[in-house]
Amino acid sequence: MTPRERVLTALKRGQPDMVPWIENDVEEEMQVRVMGGRTDFTPGELCRALGMDGFGYHFPSGLSASDGQSIQTTGTSGKEAWYYPQRITFDFTPPWIAEMGTDPSDGRTYVKHGLLTSRESLELFDRFLPDPDHPARYEKVAEWIEKYREDYAVFARIRLGGASTFESMGLDVFSIMMYDDPDLVKEVHRRFSEWSARVVQHLNKMDFDFIWANDDHADNKMPWVSTEMWEEFMKPYQMLVANEIRKPWIFHSDGNLFPLLDGLLTLGMSAIHPVQPAAMDINQLKAKYGDKVCIVGNIDLDYTLPRGTEAEVEAEVRDRIEKVGKGGGYMISSANSITDYCKLENVWAMSRAIDKYRRYT
Amino acid sequence: MSDAIATIRDWVIRGKKNEAVAATREALERGVDPGAIMKDGLIAAMSVVGAKYSSGEFFLPQMMIAARAMTEVVPVLKPHLVGEAAEIRGKAVLGTVQGDFHDIGKNIVRMMLEGGGYQVVDLGVDVSADMFIEAVRKEAPQFVLMSALITLTMEGMRRTIAALEEAGLRSSVRVGVGGAPLTHKYAAEIGADFYSEDAYECVQACNRMIDSARAEARG
Repeated sequence: MTPRERVLTALKRGQPDMVPWIENDVEEEMQVRVMGGRTDFTPGELCRALGMDGFGYHFPSGLSASDGQSIQTTGTSGKEAWYYPQRITFDFTPPWIAEMGTDPSDGRTYVKHGLLTSRESLELFDRFLPDPDHPARYEKVAEWIEKYREDYAVFARIRLGGASTFESMGLDVFSIMMYDDPDLVKEVHRRFSEWSARVVQHLNKMDFDFIWANDDHADNKMPWVSTEMWEEFMKPYQMLVANEIRKPWIFHSDGNLFPLLDGLLTLGMSAIHPVQPAAMDINQLKAKYGDKVCIVGNIDLDYTLPRGTEAEVEAEVRDRIEKVGKGGGYMISSANSITDYCKLENVWAMSRAIDKYRRYT
Repeated sequence: MSDAIATIRDWVIRGKKNEAVAATREALERGVDPGAIMKDGLIAAMSVVGAKYSSGEFFLPQMMIAARAMTEVVPVLKPHLVGEAAEIRGKAVLGTVQGDFHDIGKNIVRMMLEGGGYQVVDLGVDVSADMFIEAVRKEAPQFVLMSALITLTMEGMRRTIAALEEAGLRSSVRVGVGGAPLTHKYAAEIGADFYSEDAYECVQACNRMIDSARAEARG
């Protein structure tokens, strides 16, 4: 099987020739470290170096590595940056409508606070969101897919609108407005989701193999909203996006999704990611939902990859492949992404262990 | 507990701020003890909310509106409080450690502590050891509470505890830590006094320590 066939088989809950390895993101600084300091490598070269079966996210492409997590700028320059990406990217996430801060130590941006706090603030959508029908980004990314895909699985990252709503309103305002002005919450979610639905219509026509929707809904303890709240305030809009997707797709949310999972599955995703070990028992997930969705993730990012030993990484990889990989429908992955704070030797240990144990016999 | 106090408590639990304020005003006019309203109405309400959140019955929005209702009632009640009832239960300096910009968990802890009768000095996100030290010197809290969401930044907790030792302030405060990558084991390893899995557990831990300190003081 080619890496692409391997991934697509697992996404259909089938058993490929070996357990695929796919990551939602490998942070650029880590990419460069893996590639021995080079910044001119192709996505395929990174996949070959580690043994991964596909790619999406973004790459330094000859430029110095820095944080590239989505487009988080404002105003006309932000829209232009979205239309005309300067570095290799496969991301189609909307900007946060939020005041952003920058970590001076590494230039990473973060949400200081959301700006969608009132009906008046809805006008910010026009200022922040790029035209989802502007052709330039799609044309450029299509060139990159053609140039770099080789036989790997290539994915686009999007949002269903949930994370955009939480972050752009702020969880506190979101919570209060659910009671004070429920229509405002719904309007914000609807606008983000309609934007993503339009983007997906374009992605469907492109040569992507699958889509990865990143929408955090939970912390380690539980989801931020109950199933009833999700069904009233979020599901109708997330369904607008889900209904447009014509390719296999992975739903990503950190945290413990168990209380919300039956509802979430009605969106019709092919797979669930990242199954954080501290939040969800992957064996329980496999037993209860393994016949409904492909499972992706679970190599611990709280301890094992950043602080554990190479032996611990190997043991965890072996355990997941043996238990969760059994019968197919599983793709191994970190429990979020390969961040730049993982130990490099542990990333290599993960690569070696996957290669050692991944083959179905 | 009087019916009036039970009513206030129930409005706060349900997050009905206008009703909670009106019921508080009415109770005060009828001569209900303000200290009892605070203790058996408001603090008891937030304790119920915390327990419901901890058990998974309540979600974030329900806790947020309950905390808001409590916040609206307190200014109505405060001018009437005297003696011990007017005192804060304790004081905490709270922050997300240096290099970490996540604040959801920290903010929930702040709300729950305030709901539990604590004064909270929220230092925000990206708080260095020096900033914690400065705040401890200035505010003289009983608690230093630190949050971190990612593995990379939680070493900031160890640095802060070491800085408290170095500044001779460690014995004056109890240090609590929390956040996604944290564990009891890690908390013990860095010399924290306690780890809490969620905000309610944190309030309960603070309550236990305050109660035990008060019991010791009484001899």
